[in-house]
Formats: sequence, structure tokens, C-alpha cells
Amino acid sequence: MIMDYRKNKFATESSLNIMFIKFLKINWLIVFCIIFLGSVGVSSLYSAAGGSWDPWAKSHLIRLIFGIFLMFIIAFIPPKFFYKFSIISFILGLLALIFVKFFGVGSVQRWISIGGINFQPSEMMKLCLIFILAKYFDHLSKVQLDKLFPYIIPLICILVPGIIVISQPDLGTGLTIILLGLAILFYVGISLKFVFISLLTLISSVPLIWQQLYDYQKNRILVFLNPEIDNLGSGYQIIQSKIAIGSGGLFGKGYLLGSQSRLNYLPEKHTDFIFTLISEELGFFGAMVIILIFCTLIGSIFKISFNVETLFSKVIVFGIGFLIFLYLSLNIGMVCGLLPVVGAPLPLISYGGTSLLTVLISVGVVLSINIHKDKI
Amino acid sequence: MKNKSQKILEQTLSRRFIFLSLLKSIVVGAISWRLFDLQMIENQKYEKLSDDNQFNYHIIPPERGRILDRRMRLLAGNMDGFSLVLNWNKKLNVDTLIKKILLVVNINERDINNFYSSLKEKKNNFPKQILITKNLSQKDVAKLAVRNIQFPEISFSMSKRRVYPQGIIAGHITGYTGMFSKLDKVNGDIVSVPGLDVGKRGLEKYFDKELRGKFGRKRNEVTSKGHIIDSQIYENTKPGKDILVSLDMRLQAFAIERMERGNHNLTSINNKIIKEQLGKKNNFPIINNNFVYTNKNKKIVNAQSGSVIVMDIENGEILCCVSSPGFNPNIFSNGLNVNEWNKLKNNERAPLLNRSMSGVYPPGSTIKMAVALAGLESGIIDYKTKFFCKGVKEFGTSNFHCWSKNGHGSLNLMQAIEQSCDVYFYELGLKVGIDKIAIMMKKLGLGEYYNIEIDDKAKGVVPNIEWKLKRDGVNWTLGETLNASIGQGYILTTPLQLVTMVSRIANSELAVNPSLIIDNKKKFSKLNINSEHLKFIKKAMEEVVVGKKGTAKNYKIGSKKIEMAGKTGTVQVVRISEAEREKGLIKNEDRPWKRRDHALFVGYAPVSKPKYAISVVIEHGGSGSSIAAPIARDVFKNLFRI
Repeated sequence: MIMDYRKNKFATESSLNIMFIKFLKINWLIVFCIIFLGSVGVSSLYSAAGGSWDPWAKSHLIRLIFGIFLMFIIAFIPPKFFYKFSIISFILGLLALIFVKFFGVGSVQRWISIGGINFQPSEMMKLCLIFILAKYFDHLSKVQLDKLFPYIIPLICILVPGIIVISQPDLGTGLTIILLGLAILFYVGISLKFVFISLLTLISSVPLIWQQLYDYQKNRILVFLNPEIDNLGSGYQIIQSKIAIGSGGLFGKGYLLGSQSRLNYLPEKHTDFIFTLISEELGFFGAMVIILIFCTLIGSIFKISFNVETLFSKVIVFGIGFLIFLYLSLNIGMVCGLLPVVGAPLPLISYGGTSLLTVLISVGVVLSINIHKDKI
Repeated sequence: MKNKSQKILEQTLSRRFIFLSLLKSIVVGAISWRLFDLQMIENQKYEKLSDDNQFNYHIIPPERGRILDRRMRLLAGNMDGFSLVLNWNKKLNVDTLIKKILLVVNINERDINNFYSSLKEKKNNFPKQILITKNLSQKDVAKLAVRNIQFPEISFSMSKRRVYPQGIIAGHITGYTGMFSKLDKVNGDIVSVPGLDVGKRGLEKYFDKELRGKFGRKRNEVTSKGHIIDSQIYENTKPGKDILVSLDMRLQAFAIERMERGNHNLTSINNKIIKEQLGKKNNFPIINNNFVYTNKNKKIVNAQSGSVIVMDIENGEILCCVSSPGFNPNIFSNGLNVNEWNKLKNNERAPLLNRSMSGVYPPGSTIKMAVALAGLESGIIDYKTKFFCKGVKEFGTSNFHCWSKNGHGSLNLMQAIEQSCDVYFYELGLKVGIDKIAIMMKKLGLGEYYNIEIDDKAKGVVPNIEWKLKRDGVNWTLGETLNASIGQGYILTTPLQLVTMVSRIANSELAVNPSLIIDNKKKFSKLNINSEHLKFIKKAMEEVVVGKKGTAKNYKIGSKKIEMAGKTGTVQVVRISEAEREKGLIKNEDRPWKRRDHALFVGYAPVSKPKYAISVVIEHGGSGSSIAAPIARDVFKNLFRI
């Protein structure tokens, strides 16, 4: 009964009619949030370039339009497709990560270049991880989930890509992957005893992890704890970012008028620190509007996860919602000095094709699950 | 079983979901609070930090006010100059660049040193502009500009340079400006700006605040790399006020020329005898590139040094205040090098000393009016009191001589002043006593600083019994009273004090104070000396010039309307021993310069209606009657255009 959608029931209906019904079932609130945040991204990148479409705003807009199309296409794909392809996508993602490790482009091995387009497999890995975990737990749903043994395979699935990404080195994305996976494990009901035990292990292994970190990563954490120790080096970023945010005030300095960004005091203002630029130019008010829209988006996704029937759907939708939440909190926490500078983009707004596409594809999957939740 | 586990699972999922949603809310709450804290609570702090990033402020020095004389002639002004600026960045090898620049143009040592010290001061490694020198001529600019491929890092800017068109004539009065240094007293709103000139001396120093004006500020918008992308005036400068001084540069120029010449002749250097002398030694001062001063024997001599001051007796305005030798303040604006400075400093005639106000001299016979007035005011003598002069006054074990070896015979007060009889005043001084003389001297303005607008000035000495006891712990002796009565001994005055003394006598009503500023609101206190007595003293001073036996009888102005009155003074610099006196006095000209007498003359004119007072002091010039009096006469002639 639960797995009903796996049986092909669409054949009897006319495909146009089905398309129309599906179209009506799209969660328009989510679509609105996506388009709104995407537009904020385009206009912020326009401002980041000093009031110019080049080099970021234009390509971000093109990617956004392309990505939204992709999102709609995915929205019409029945979820059984994802179910089928979850294992293969995970293996492909893992292969891509290993490939990047050895043949990556750039000084840090994060990208692979396909036909001139640079592609960051670690971003896609997040989605693949959600899929594989969802499929795994869906299979497991028949047995008791509060035993420890079934969690060993998922843990391996989480830690392998996570550690590969951290070793790229990309601490931010790697941590996102691990945190995302752990959140899913927690969500599906891993025993609280185990959670506490792992937390204790984690805390006690901090010195060990510390040794494994690269110097620049250690430095980032040290500087996070006290930015003043290096106010022209690594601490510079966070100090300048805080100055930019703080100087924004209630309504900001005005669009295109942020002095910190205009005069290049803001580092990475088009990628990880785009939220700083928004806070500077639009103030507390603008920042809160963006956070509110994000919360609406995440809330709607969570609501869907609450309403869908199968564990597979639940885990996927929850995972995606949590992924966006992780992006958001890591990024904003980082730019306002609550978290160390680990490198996490702000979904839909930061410049960067892969993360944009990842988010849009994910949201497409959510829409698809939402559309297909009632048997048509 | 299946359903049950399903149910349990769903319960777990809901619980965990709610828990994670709660976590999410907490995180979002924390982020929102953080943003609220940064943007709303600490907003002002970060706004300031952001402004500090965005802008850097440059102080624009205002144009310094001018100094003008009473006829609006320029004493100190500003000239356009060129500054050389280095656009410094981290990669630049400054030393070789400066060496290369020095091969093309001359930059004085001081500027180079200042440049290096400001180079050291910079806080970060961002590129910035550093001033190399302010004193670039148009020629230098051209030289550097044609080589600008070699020096891409330098640029030029217009700047103001202080000029003193009157040069050496008024150097002591105008003073000069120099770079602000830590030694300068920080007064009020002064800010340390690289390249800022502040008054270091004279009027430039006294009126520094007024002349300086108000600083403006320029606001530059700078990128994180230190590039200036925009620049705007943030606060306007207010140019400094012009200062109008009471000097008359025409008179000043005449007076300094007349004084330096003294009784010598002006001879062209093309003269054969002169050429010979110039060949042997070449440190003689050459006047106007063509002339030298020569004495009667056609020998080249130095210019006279001393002071001439002319003061308006009604309002205390100083029309002419000459001190020679002087210095040319322009050399300070061009940047003085150590050699030039040492030359000025070590010159035995001390050109840096403003003799008019800081030079102290025994007043000699010019003090006799004060002694006479002390006698008259105290009622100890009257107009008719007579003393006998036989050329010497024996007192105790020593002899006090009169300048006239054979004595003046019996004379009254008027005659004693006219002929400047020393013995009369010995007797008078003894009768009156030093304390009463000192009181009168102080009444007439001696031993006082005044509020004149020059900082460097001497107080002089007006001795009395208490003063000596305090200074030496020894009692005043009557012999010292004798010396004081003829203006020798402890008593010391500045030329400015002497002219003030004469002004007060000539004015007769008000205790006039000297001033370099034209100010009609000045108020003077009453002099409080019996005007009859003053009238008598003035008559006696008149007799000095017009009387048959007057010490300055040869130097009448000779105009029907205008005549001067005055008093000569000759001050012994070296004590003449009895043995020397026996041998006969050596003539002044034959003594080494340092041992010659100071020549003094104080006076006023016109006699009928006094208007101007004068004091002339010629250092080691000889006798007051032969050298100081004619200078005073000629200055008056020039003043009254006779």
C-alpha cells in the first residue's frame, strides 16, 4: 500500500491532462521563495560588481533561469525514478569525488571541468547522500530502526564522501555533508544513547581531528576564536565582514551604496560573503526579510516532509530542507562571526553554478514528491 | 507487527522532526539576534569603523595671512611654489630613487631628513603620497618633468612658500616660519601636519594663531588597496588674517641704511685702493653689490651695528625698529642648511639678536633726565640748584670723573643736562638716592617688558638697594649710586625701553607703551609726574640740540618749523683705569671694536609739538654726540621729509 506509486498508474490517463493536474499541484509558495531569493542573488551580484551585469549577475541570471526550468522538469518526474537511481547516483557522485581528488582543476581539488564548465561534485554529493540514505532507510523501515547495527552502512556512506571532501580540502562542504547525514540518521530515529555516545567520542577526539587539519584550516578556527590575532590576514575577512554588517544599521546604506563592498574591503563578496553585502546595503530589515523567506522555504519543505507517506519521501524531503537550513545557518553564522570561516555558500544567492543547481534540483525533487504524494 | 513498528517509527519521526525543527528555530533565532546585535545595538561602532575604512582625511593647511606695514607694504606674504611628492608603494626602492633625483635637482638636507622620518612613520604597507620637498623652483620642475620616464613615482603639486619681500630690513620684526616640530609649544588647536609651517620668531610667532587661519579637511575615499578613488573638500579652509603693523618700511629702510653707514663713507668697489684691500681679505660686507663702507683712511670697515627705534609718542606705535646686523628671513623659507645656520649663530656680531628689544645696554647719560626728574619730583633740588664740576668727584678712595677733563664749573640743572655734566649728576644722585631714582626710572618705563608683539625681549635692570641685596647679598654702596646716576654700572636698558622713556617724557601726560600694531582703542595710564618738571626737562633736552654748549649742537635739523630735542649718551664698555687716564685716553677709533664706547642718543621731535620719539644705539660706535645724534637727525629729517 505504501509503495503504491511504484506501480505505473499513469498509463490510463492522457498525458496532457496529467501534466495539467500536476502543474496545479505544484507548491507555488516554494516556487515563489526560489524565484525571490534567486532575484535577490542576481541583484546582489549586480551590486557586488559595482553596478554591473558583468561578471557575475548575468551568468547567475542565466543559470537561475536554466535551473528553474530544470527544477520544473524534475518536479514532473515521478519519485520512483529517484528511488531507482539513488544508488547509481551515489556511486557516480563518489566516483566523481575520487576523480576530482586526482584530476581536479585548481589549486584546491574541488572542480572537474566538463566541456569548459567547471563542476563541483561535492555539492551534488549532498543530494546523492540524501537519496542513498532515504533508499536505505526505506528498505529498513520493516525492521526495528532502534538497533545500532543497521546504522553502520549509512555511517560509512556519510563518512566516506565527507572525509574525501574535507581532504580536498573543503572543510565547509565536508562538514555540511557529515552534518546532513547525521541529521538524517537522527531523524529516522537512531537511538539517543548512541547519539550521546557519539557526541562524547567526537568531543574527546577533537585533539585528534585537530592534528589532521591543514594549517590554514587550523588558522581559520583560531582566528574565528579571536579575529584580532590576525587583523590583516585571516581575521581580516571576518573583521571587515562584521564592520560591513554592523554599519548597515536598520535600513542599510542603500542599494549599490555599500562602501565596504564597493571599496573592496569585503573579501569574497560575490560568493560566501554575499550576505554581508546585502546586510550592508539593505540593513537589518533586508537581512531579516531574506532570512524570513528562507525560513518560509525551509518551513514549506518540512511541512511537505510531514505530510508525505513513505519513509523514502519523508527522508528525502526532510534531508533537502535540512540541507538548505545547513547552508543558510553555516553561511550566515560564518559571515556574522558566529562560526569560523569554513566556506559555505548562501543557497540561490551566492555566485556559483553547482550549488545553485544542487539547490534547484533538490527543490525540484521536493516539488515532485509533493506533486506525487497523492496517488494520481 | 508491521503496523506496530510502522506506528512506532512514525512517532519517532514526529518527535525527532519536532526536535530538529526546534533546533532550527533556535539557530535562526541566534542568527537573528546576532544580526540585531551587530546592526542595531552596535551599529554606531561599526559605522565609525566603516567610515574609517572608507575615508581618510587629509588636512589642508590654510593660506597664511600676510604681514603688512602701515602703508600696506608687504612684509611677509606667500609665493606659489612647487612641491615634490613621492607616490610611495611597498616595492619602491626609495634610496636609489632619491639618489637619482638628487643627481637632477638639489634638495636640501633638511627636507631629505624630514622625508625619511615621515617615511618611517607610515603605519601600514598601503601606497601613499609622501612629501619630499616644498622648495622646488620652476626650473627644477621642468628638469624633473622631462625625465619623468625615469621617475614615474614622483609627482608635483602647487604649494605656498613664505616670502619676505623686505628681506633683511625687517627680519627681526617679521621673524620667520619653519616646519612644525615637537619642540614647538602646542597651543590650542594646532595639529601636526606634515609640511605645516608655524611661526618661529618675531611677529610670525606672536601672531601665529591669527596668521595660520583655520585648517580645512579633504576627504579621500580609499579602496582596501589604498587607491584614492574620490576626493572632496570636507571642511573649508579659512585663510589666516592679515596683520597690519605700525612700521613704515620707507623709514625703516632709510634708518637701517643710515645707521649701518654711521659716519663712514660709501665707496665703490671699483676704486683702486678698495680693490687692493678686497684682494687680501674677502669677508667684507658688500652693499648693493657695489659698495663698501670705508673710514677716513679709505680702509674698509664693517657696517655699524646697533638699533634705531622711532615711536609715536601719542599712541605708542613703532614706526621703525631697526636692529643691525640682521638676517634675511627668506633663507629660512628656502630651508636653511646647517652651515648657513652655524654661520648665523657663530657670527660675533650676533645677527640673530634683535638688539632693539633683546639687546641690553647701559643707558649712559641718556638716563640723566630720569635722575633729574627724580630729584625734582622728590623736591630735593629745584631748577636753580647748582653744583660745581671740577672734572672729577672724589668719593671715598676712588675718583669719579666727568667726561670733560677740565670740568664744567658751576652749573644749574638745565646746563648740566645740556652739557651732560657727570659731576653734577654724581652730586644729584647722592642727594636723591638710588631708590628714588629707580622709582622714577620705572615710572618712565625702564625695567619693563611691555606687551609689545614680539616674544623675545629683555627686561633690563633697574637696580635698587633691595635688588642688590637679593642678587648678591651685599649692601648697596654709594659709589654704585654715583655710577647709576650717569647710567653706568648695574643699570641696563633696551633701546625699546629708552624710546619709551623719551616718549613718556615728551608725552608728559600718559605712560605710553610701545606697540607694533595699529590699534586706536589703546588706553594708557596717567604718567603722574609734575608737568612743570617735565616741561623743564624737555626744555633742557631742547638745549642739548640748540644750546650753545649742547652736546648735540652740531646736529640741528635746522628747519624753522621742526627741530628735535634729545640727549646724547656715551657708554664706557671697559673700565678706564687711573693709569690709562694719566697716559691720556686712547681715541675710540684706535681701540679694538669690542672695547670702543657705545654711542646713544634719545630724543623727540618736533620740539614745538612733540610727535615722535627716537632712540639710537650704536654698539661700540664711539661717542653719542658724534655718531648717534646725526643718525637721529637724519632719521627725523627723513620722517618729516625735510
